[in-house]
Order: sequence, then structure tokens, then C-alpha cells
Amino acid sequence: MIEKAVAGPDEDSTTMGLEASLNAIRRSGVNPADIGAVFFGTESKPYSVKPSATVIAEAIGATPLTMASDLEFACRAASEGIRASIGLVASYMVKYALVIGSDTAQANPGDVLEFTASSGAAAFVIGPSKGSVAVFEGSSTYVTDTPDFWRREGSRYPRHGEGFTGEPAYFSHIVGAVRDLMEKLGLKPSDFNYAIFHQPNGKFPLKVGEILGFKSDQLKLGLVTPLIGNTYNGSALIGLARVLDYAKPGERILVAPFGSGAGSDAYSLTVTDAVEEKRGKAPLVDHYINDKIVISYSIYARYRGLIHVVKE
Amino acid sequence: MAYITGVGLVNVDRHYGKSVRKLAFEASTAALDSSMVESIDFIVVASSLSYLQEPQLDLASYIASSMGFRGVRSIAVESGEASGLAAVMTAKSLVDSGLASRVLVVGVDKLSDNPSWRVYRDLSMLYDSESDAFYTIGLGGVAGLLMRLYMEVYKVDRHTLAYWPALMHSNAKANPYAMLRFAITPEKVLEAPPVAEPLTLLDTFPLGDGAAAIVVEGKARGDAMAEIVAVESSTGYQSVALSDDPLRIESLEVAYGRLVERVDAMDVDVVELHDSFTITGILELEALRLAERGKAAEAVAHGNFSIGGEGPVVNPSGGLKARGHPIGATGVYQVAEVALQLAGEFPGLKVEGARGGLAVSVNAMGSSSYVAYLKAVG
Amino acid sequence: MHRYRLIAYKCKSCGRAHYPPANACPYCGSRDLGEIELPRVGRILSYSIVYTTPFEDKDRSPVVIGLVDLGVARLIAEIVDVKPEDVRIDDRVEAVFRRISVDGDTGLIVYGIKFRPVRTR
Repeated sequence: MIEKAVAGPDEDSTTMGLEASLNAIRRSGVNPADIGAVFFGTESKPYSVKPSATVIAEAIGATPLTMASDLEFACRAASEGIRASIGLVASYMVKYALVIGSDTAQANPGDVLEFTASSGAAAFVIGPSKGSVAVFEGSSTYVTDTPDFWRREGSRYPRHGEGFTGEPAYFSHIVGAVRDLMEKLGLKPSDFNYAIFHQPNGKFPLKVGEILGFKSDQLKLGLVTPLIGNTYNGSALIGLARVLDYAKPGERILVAPFGSGAGSDAYSLTVTDAVEEKRGKAPLVDHYINDKIVISYSIYARYRGLIHVVKE
Repeated sequence: MAYITGVGLVNVDRHYGKSVRKLAFEASTAALDSSMVESIDFIVVASSLSYLQEPQLDLASYIASSMGFRGVRSIAVESGEASGLAAVMTAKSLVDSGLASRVLVVGVDKLSDNPSWRVYRDLSMLYDSESDAFYTIGLGGVAGLLMRLYMEVYKVDRHTLAYWPALMHSNAKANPYAMLRFAITPEKVLEAPPVAEPLTLLDTFPLGDGAAAIVVEGKARGDAMAEIVAVESSTGYQSVALSDDPLRIESLEVAYGRLVERVDAMDVDVVELHDSFTITGILELEALRLAERGKAAEAVAHGNFSIGGEGPVVNPSGGLKARGHPIGATGVYQVAEVALQLAGEFPGLKVEGARGGLAVSVNAMGSSSYVAYLKAVG
Repeated sequence: MHRYRLIAYKCKSCGRAHYPPANACPYCGSRDLGEIELPRVGRILSYSIVYTTPFEDKDRSPVVIGLVDLGVARLIAEIVDVKPEDVRIDDRVEAVFRRISVDGDTGLIVYGIKFRPVRTR
């Protein structure tokens, strides 16, 4: 871990999600009024009850005739939105769907997770293959009731099972989803140019890649956590956005988000020609990584509300 | 016709022990004593923050009844920082129309009863809640950006713009009703803590409490202090962002133009204008054509508008900067001060032989502007 | 929702645009108005660095307020993501969606548009 990204005092998961959404919409060239579903995946909602998805839908100009919903499944909430969107688009129920993964992750001060919990967002416009920058060949989801990491209602910070979050949770579910996908599609690791896994830190993805038979070179481009921290719902998805910033037409991408509780998805995507024309229409992930102001822990503590201030 | 037959002022200060009603009472009794009358037909009250702070609605009737004027007619006027002049305009219309023969106008506001952050939040309501005040910024932002724009467009440096507050403080030293009575140099202005850069604390009106009252009568009296010849006003844009030239206070140009149309011959020997911030004073001098566009700061630095300098004497009271700015009361202070000058009775710096004078109020950076012209009687 | 999307009104009589939308054209008084979406990039005409920030915004103090020119209309807005001492007249800025205010611990969050300097990519 080198650095982690911190949301400013006037930002939250909704504001970051909106910025990512506008970038995605600009690249897609779609008319926001043609977006028929907005899924907002997060575990740091500004409101416990009141969807952020409607704020986003309003701000992009998709309201009022649209589906909109906030999803919860720790770090894979947005990914469930992607699977649902594939179904909505393929069944012609909606023309386009917008999926956002956004978090201003928090951890108990002093807890090991404090090193990595960070802020970030990614957004994707899902639509028909024609004009898309990448096409889904298939997808898979693997879930079980596994209490590796949780936060009770009213509790400020999550708790986790330390080592338990590893093998029984992260590894077994990602392996489960990816193996199911590769079996369904008849693919092996060497068929992929890139593999992007949920990245709570810099080590877990490399280890699960090794278990599955991927080479570390395939993971390099999509591994952003060492530079920005674990953005939770943004984690694998920002990695995917970065890969799409550089991938060439014809290349194949595996992306496998994971969420505690627990579950993982796996997708296989092939990149199209359209990616070269669309990628320059919005800032690259690397632009955001490099555009930063470094702050001290004390400023960070004020921004993230770690210091209790009595409101006058 | 409308005549001022008495005035009463409370010194602008932090009157921690005195309530809004008490301050209004003190100014009113002083005005009534000075006018040598006891009964009035109408009380017109000017205040802005009292509604939020006391909090109190139907303010005028509660102030009137607390002063013992049983059954008197009352009305409250709120026009932001220009409430005082708006109240004077109301009083003049009441006597001109014959609806009243004697009206007491009292302006009152307190800015020291609450923590400053809360006062700044309340004061931001003087600006447009849909645009300028939509952002929770605090006091002085719009004035600050206009000051920077003025410096950029007219190539005037910060030091030249510091002569105005220095002049205000110099004038206020002699005024027993002023809040700040110490001299400052232009250098001190630049060194003072920033409020809304490039504005510093010494470019900004102080937070104080005050009350001022005048008695306005319809009949000419031998001992009247001054005549309120005309009061005119205009509304302006909701925000300076809508103006093609944000460095013009258009509403004041229009109000003044209307005033000039109404009055045959104007002697402007003294002016009390609304320098809530240094830049407001500068832009008003230009709107009133007392200086050319972009040249007012230079003119002040040159010594114009001071006693003995070129042009009418501006803000001999010390202005909003040094006499003070108890928001709703300010316009009444200004009219009282001009009346005192015209009667030869101002207790501070006297403008000898003054025959006519202006009182000028602007809300925010020009959402509304008022100008009153007074002339000496006899 | 003009606060979320920079929707201005354009007067069908005199052709001028104004933001935020008012009930009638502030220039000619006409009520014949249509919606337009403003460009999201503009430049700073002037700005001020404000130190008298309200209590709940002390973490952001001092705050920069700017007069932003978007070509077809101008507006007053907060300038963010920059050190106050680095702001200059003529800086190119782009619209961003941010929290404007929060009503205590249980009230609503107001969102709106602020501007940040455009950094070369």
C-alpha cells in the first residue's frame, strides 16, 4: 500500500458516483433519457433510507420514467447491479442501464482495515452489444451465508473475522465463481489477457490469481489498490475501468468482484473496436490517480468525522 | 411636505444589557424630547435581524406598546440593509398623503447578542437565497470578489483602496455616537486579518447594536431641523452574476436618476452613504457620479470628500465602517445625521453652511437602493 | 432540477439566458422562457477567499467563492479542490456535483454544483 484516496468534506458516495456516471455517459454517447435503470451499489450510503440512485437519476436527466435502486452486498453490490442489467438489456426491458459502485469506506481507527479503507467510484453504461466498448460473453455468481465481515444497524464501523475473511470467504467464493464461469464458457486462464479481482489489499488478488492459474502480469494493469486503497464497491470496477483505458480490441478480460457475507461474481468480456474511439472522451483512471493533494492524518480525521465535533 | 422635527440616536456599541425594545425606546424618547412632542399618530419600525433573533414578528406593535403608546398605529418595514431609508420613505408618504400628521420612525437592530458565526449566517440572508446565498459561505464573499474585480479592471492597487476606511475612522473620532473611534492608517487596513480576501477586517463594518429615531411631521414648524424633499428607490438584479457590468450598482444609478428628476435644484453639500464594505462605498461614489468610473478610490486617496477637500463631504459620521451598521437602523442614523448637519447641530465633524444632503442605502450589492434628499429649512 | 444539472432559462423574446431560472426574464421582463443546459466549463472572472465560514463548514474554511463565466450565462459558485492561494482570475473551471449543506444529524443533504480548476490531462 502506497497511498489511499480520501473523500473531501463536501463529497460522499453519491457525489463521487455522479461524477463517474457523467464520465461513463459521455463516453457512451447515449441520451440519458434512454437510461431505464440506475443501480447504485455501496456500503456507505449517505442515507440509510432514501436512495442515492434517485439523486443520480435526477442529476443525469433520466427521471422520471426509470428504475432506480440502491443495492447492498458489501463490496459486490454494484456487481449484482451489472448482472441484473445484463438481463434487463437482453430482455429488451430497458435500452440502457447505469451501474455505479461507490464508497467512502470507513474503518475503526487503529483497526488494520484503516490502512486500506478509501474512497472512490466507478460507473458503467450497460447496453446492446452494438456500439459497446466491451461485450459480455458470460457471467456467474457464487454466494453462501458466510459471516466474514459485517456491520450491525446503528454501528459506526464494521467488524471482521480477520483470518476468516481469507480462505473461507474471499478465496473460496472468487474461485467458485471464476471456475464456474470458465467451465460454462470452456475457457482457461491463458485465454484471458487481463484478470481483475476484488482487491482489499495488494496481496489477496495475486494469491487468488495464482490459485486459479493466472500469471501476475495479467493482474498488473487492473490492480489499483496499492495506489488508491480499497474503494470497496469501486475496487474491482475501478480496476476494470483502468484496464479498459489501455486494452486493445479483441482482448479478453476476466473481472471477479467479491463482497463479504459472502459472494463473488465472474464476468468474461471481449474488447471491441469502439473502445479506441470512446476512451478519450472522459478522464482516464490514471488522471484521477495522479491528480491529488496529499493530506495529513489529522486533516483526514477531520474530513472523515473521526473527531467528535459538537454541532452548535 | 415632510419635516424632521427631532432626532434621537443611541451610540452604536455592544449593548449586552439592553434589549431591542430598550434600545428602540431610548432612541425614540430622545427623538421625541428633541422634537418637544409627546404624542404621535404612527410608528414606523425598521429592523432586519430582530425577526430572526428575538425572534419576533409584528415587531412594530410590540415595540410601540412597550413604549406606552396605547392604540398608536404601527407598521414595520423590512428592506434588508435599506430598511431604515425604506421606513423614512414610508413615513414621508404617510404625512404627504395626510394619513398622519406626526410619525415616529425608529430603526433598531442588534448584532452582538449571538455568536458571530450565527450572525454571519443571518446576514447572508441579505443576499439571494437562490444564488449568492445558496452556498453556505459567510459574510463578505460577493463584496470581496467585486473588490478584486475592481482592482483588476481599473488597475487600482490595494493600498489606494485603503484610504477610504482610514478616512471613515478619522471622521468617526469626533462622533460621540460612533462605534469605532480610533484612527487607522491605510497600512493597518492591509495588515488586518482577512475577512473575504482582498477585504480585511478593517474594510468591513463592525458588528454592533444600535437604534436611531426621527420625528417626521407634515406641517412646517419654525424650529424644524430639515425637510425631507424626496426619497426614491429602485430594485436591481438578484445577483451581480446577472449584471453585464458588476462594478455598477445599477439600482442606485436608477434611484438617484429618479431623485434628480423629482427635485428642482439640489445642493449636495453632505452625503451619508452605505459603505458596508470599502468597495461598496467606492462603487456608490461612482454611481452617484461623484467620481468617474474607476477613479473613486484614487479621489479618496487624494483627499476628496473630506472636510476641506474637493466634492461634498462624504460620511462625516464615520459611515458604516466606523460609526457602525446596525442593519435596519442604519438608514435612520443616516437621515438623522444629515438632518443634524443641516440644522448645524451635528455633534461630530460639522459641515459648515450645509444647505442640502443625501442619505444613501444599498442592500447587499444592489438588490435594492434608496436615496433621500434633505434640505435645510429657513 | 436546475441545481443538479445547470439548467438555465433562455428568454424567447430577447434571447438572453439567466441562471438560476427566475419567473421572468431579468433583462426584458418577458415570461416566455425555455430551458437550456449550460456548458459545464467556464472561467473565473473574479473570486474571494472567505474566512467568515459558518460553524458547520469550518472544515472547509477558508472557502473560495467565484464569479464564473459560462459564456451564455454567469453565476456565483464555490470553487473547490484547490488551495485558495493558487486560484487566479481567468482560471478555467469545470462543474462538479457536491454537497452544499447538511441539516444536522437527521435532516436532509442538499446537493448542488460547485466548480474546480480544469487540470490538463
